[in-house]
Amino acid sequence: MRIFVSAALAAALTIPATAQTGPGQARFRALYKELVETNTTLSAGDCTLLAHKMGAHLKDAGYTDADLHYFTAEGHPKEGGLVARLPGSDPHAKAVLLLGHIDVVEAMREDWTRDPFTLLEENGYFYGRGTSDMKAQVAAWVDTMMRLKEEGFKNRRTVKMALTCGEETSTAFNGASYLSSHERELIDAEFALNEGGGGRLNAAGKPLMMTIQAAEKFPQNYQLEVTNPGGHSSRPMPDNAIYKLAAGLTRISAYVFPIQASDITRTYFAKLSPQVGGEMGAAMTAFAKDPTDKTASAKLASDPSYNAILHTTCVATLLNAGHANNALPQRADANINCRIFPGTTPDQVRATLQEIVADPAIKVTLVDKRSEVPKGPQPVNPRVFAPVEKLVAKMWPGIPVVPSMSAGATDGAFLTPAGIPTYGVSGMFGDPDGNGAHGLNERMRVKSAYDGRDFLYEVVKIYASQK
Amino acid sequence: MRNAAAAFAACLILPAAAQPLSPGQQAFRGIYKEMVETNTTLSVGDCTVLAQKMAARLKTAGYPDSDLHILTAPDHPKEGSLVAVLPGSDPKAKAILLLAHLDVVEAKREDWTRDPFTLVEEDGYFYGRGTADDKSVAAIWVDVMVRFKQEKIAHRRPLKLALTCGEETNGAFNGAKWLAANQRALIDAEFGLTEGGWGTMGENGGKRIALGINAGEKLSQNYTLDVTNPGGHSMRPVKDNAIYHLSAGLLKIGAYDFPTQSTDASREYFARMAPLTGGEMGAAMTAFAKNDQDARAAAVLATDPRFNAAMRTTCVATLINGGHATNALPQHVSANVNCRIFPGTTPETVRDKLQALVADPQIKVTAQAAHNEPAPAPPLTPMLMKPLIAEAAKRWPGVPVIPQLEIGATDASFMTPAGIPTYGFTGMFFEPDGSRLHGLNERIRAPVLYEARDYLFDLIRIYSK
Repeated sequence: MRIFVSAALAAALTIPATAQTGPGQARFRALYKELVETNTTLSAGDCTLLAHKMGAHLKDAGYTDADLHYFTAEGHPKEGGLVARLPGSDPHAKAVLLLGHIDVVEAMREDWTRDPFTLLEENGYFYGRGTSDMKAQVAAWVDTMMRLKEEGFKNRRTVKMALTCGEETSTAFNGASYLSSHERELIDAEFALNEGGGGRLNAAGKPLMMTIQAAEKFPQNYQLEVTNPGGHSSRPMPDNAIYKLAAGLTRISAYVFPIQASDITRTYFAKLSPQVGGEMGAAMTAFAKDPTDKTASAKLASDPSYNAILHTTCVATLLNAGHANNALPQRADANINCRIFPGTTPDQVRATLQEIVADPAIKVTLVDKRSEVPKGPQPVNPRVFAPVEKLVAKMWPGIPVVPSMSAGATDGAFLTPAGIPTYGVSGMFGDPDGNGAHGLNERMRVKSAYDGRDFLYEVVKIYASQK
Repeated sequence: MRNAAAAFAACLILPAAAQPLSPGQQAFRGIYKEMVETNTTLSVGDCTVLAQKMAARLKTAGYPDSDLHILTAPDHPKEGSLVAVLPGSDPKAKAILLLAHLDVVEAKREDWTRDPFTLVEEDGYFYGRGTADDKSVAAIWVDVMVRFKQEKIAHRRPLKLALTCGEETNGAFNGAKWLAANQRALIDAEFGLTEGGWGTMGENGGKRIALGINAGEKLSQNYTLDVTNPGGHSMRPVKDNAIYHLSAGLLKIGAYDFPTQSTDASREYFARMAPLTGGEMGAAMTAFAKNDQDARAAAVLATDPRFNAAMRTTCVATLINGGHATNALPQHVSANVNCRIFPGTTPETVRDKLQALVADPQIKVTAQAAHNEPAPAPPLTPMLMKPLIAEAAKRWPGVPVIPQLEIGATDASFMTPAGIPTYGFTGMFFEPDGSRLHGLNERIRAPVLYEARDYLFDLIRIYSK
């Protein structure tokens, strides 16, 4: 078995050439297109529909109904998902789980340059909601599952794929949370691979590093609320709910949370430093050595992506006030979205926000808690890291593989506490601006999507063959 | 409260709870209740339904169908009006138009102490959306029309009732404007009476201080502030944030005071209110009436929102909305700023001022479509004023009727330019809270409403002769 694996691996690695470019790539693109063009927003979309579309492709590839498990929870008919299994030859080997969410953030047509639910290829990029978060990776998971089946791949370990809904909306029904608590056996695995990792390009499009996400910040929403008796707008009064809220928001915008560091972020900056070079690279080295170096952290903070992993961040995302254009507002509220650095509690951040707004008329409350606060980062498990390191060395020689802390939240927050340690591995290189994920005109570099597909297919084969 | 009441002349206070309602008052209260409890907000209400209910009441009172007109514009089925006509004895005499709007400002149940669409009588107040604005006036007009018909009251002039929709929302279909343009002959009248000119009284049913009659209106104009941004994932905040831009801009608008101005009517108002008010505020009124650039006097007047609004253009943020998800940086936020423009200032000047105030090219300030053109106030003729003052003096001795600049806006602004001079006058007194018009827990003193009903009935009887 070992020999076979090595041989297969060697064959795969010599050629970025097993990189299919013909019909295989076209089929992957069609999957990706179908994923993007099936609206899966909470407001108007349907994850169940998309899960069934993906299931149908797997069935075409040879999966039996017994290995395709659709699920929906009561009261959430459109927020369903799919768990698929490719049984391994060794009944004692634990499975590897490929996890992906199929829902996307809301996108308003009138705000976008192009229709967000049409996959458009322009100037080397795919555009559309979900192109980067995370339908390219989902397309690669489905594509990999199909290819393993069609090729009759002899996997020792069972490979499982779970496509879920509700990752993007903290108050919505979450499929990963549901599976962790209701279908724990079905998704049982030694570890899971998920979004959150990936490559980082510099502004010129040069690959800098490949990350494996092994920690994440904790997302928490807070509501700021001001109420007022209101009145007729023809007689304004100094005490106005909108102005009070605006003043509080202005104070929050000016506040900077204290700089923090962990082993993972220090390793991350240390390894990234030589890739980045220059003044920024020097700041990374200095920060990795001494996180209290204020000059270094100030330099890092000038880049929003680095800033996001230096400390807790909080930002206003929603604003709403008033009930008529000719009436003084009776209520004004805002949502503040915080990303909390491991080790700080949501209650501590609430207390800080209440202090910053410096106005007892502004009530700051915790909106909801998405999941349990994680205990700490995942171990840097060689069984997860080594295959990625080998493959990256082949596909992108000289690019370091580093553990990272994700500023965003993933469904790993549900699986890891349930005993399925979850790592972010995608092999897809993203732009320094975040690719418009959650924002306007979300995009994915065409080359990144195709390279990522090749990478994930190969790396899953390595994991699937592990003892 | 009893002691306080006793301190004033008995005629000034009618402790409503203490006296059983007359059958006429009960009938009136039924009309009023039906009005308040029929939701006529733009979002979920239906003016046409309420117009039909009132038409049914008039029909019961004896009006033939030919004198009852439910009018709707084709695209606005729920924003209908009722016009009712009661012919007079003299075919050559011109009519009196009783104008009121049926629609009300939005009200959210969760924000109010009581259900805004249930008429609740508590501690001498009627509570509910529209209890003052403008269902108090609308109910009195319907009551007047019913009583004239049922009691066969002799009158030379025709009485015309117009209950319309859309007064409260700039940009919505406006029934008064529509009638003036499309049913001009039907509503033709020598003059009209409508809301406005609210009187002043002390807190908790305190002393009546003065009655008002509108002599000119400020112009209501809405402006939109827009900020757009590429947005992005909220896990990587950037300094350039649409909500923060808008917040900073709104704070600058909130901190700004427009220059003080005056009209003949507003100076007369302050001069006559001065002795009734007394103290430091009274002195400030006297000083301001003499010199509207007296900064010290203006500063004192500005401490009272009513007086502040009567001496300058005011602008205030009333709505804000932005963002599309809790976990995404906002791509678009906007605010509505409602301005009440002093006569003589143009909406464009105010827009330019707002754009200069926010001092941020990312904030785009645009004027929404104008509600109406600024119109000069109709003259306060002796024919109108003599009975109005005499009847008021009988009921409220020593309480003057003072012309004032209307700080709000009324549908008179559509009727007067159409050749039906329309006066804002109701005979109702508001406490210093302004009856909470458009606000939370809108209310009116019950005795104030019943007194106004009697007063307006007598007044229309005189006018109609």
